[in-house]
Amino acid sequence: MKFSPWWTDWRRLALFIALFALSACAHVEPWERGRLAQSRMALVEDPLLSAMNDHVYTAKEAASGGTGPAGGGCGCN
Amino acid sequence: MLLMLICLAAPVAVRAADAPSFTLPELETGRMLSLEDFQGQVVYVDFWASWCGPCRKSLPLYEEMRQQLEAKAFSIVAINLDEKRADAEQFLARHPVGYTVLLDPAGESAAAWQIKAMPSSFLLDTENRIVRSWAGFTTDHLEEIRSEILALVD
Repeated sequence: MKFSPWWTDWRRLALFIALFALSACAHVEPWERGRLAQSRMALVEDPLLSAMNDHVYTAKEAASGGTGPAGGGCGCN
Repeated sequence: MLLMLICLAAPVAVRAADAPSFTLPELETGRMLSLEDFQGQVVYVDFWASWCGPCRKSLPLYEEMRQQLEAKAFSIVAINLDEKRADAEQFLARHPVGYTVLLDPAGESAAAWQIKAMPSSFLLDTENRIVRSWAGFTTDHLEEIRSEILALVD
């Protein structure tokens, strides 16, 4: 019985992963984004409420800048 | 890398001289209209949908522009791409317009015109050739659009 060299198997594995990943790749055209634009599809349902909650949380926990990229807790912005 | 390239592949822009034709029903009357019906006029074609945020701003501004340029050989054709006709009707009840609104729920015209963003608009000369196009909408576009139209109709 003939065994394939290890790199051949690695390539097969890479090909399998690539083909598997392709099934999750879909191009949604700009005019097909009606459902994605619905409010229930938003990651944050209420941006204003979320910002307020973050503000309260960071004030209580002394963790300014801990919930996003802006600010480093220096109190200068 | 190959997968990324496949996913991010952008469509090729419509060439300057080509204005793909369409035949679509008018929202109000159901009458079929095609691009050829507007030949001899400067036409501003706008692709929009009720769910598109900038369209809420652009459509009423286009209506103002239509009223200002009413005496000129100029038409606005707004192609609605909503899946449901009721969504377009509800939107237009809030933002009434006097220009032609056509329905294309399947988005076939949008595909033919290779639009890259919502909204997208195209300015056509009297021979139905694309003179200029805009992807997206900001209020800054409006002055550009108006001056391009005036340059063609005057």
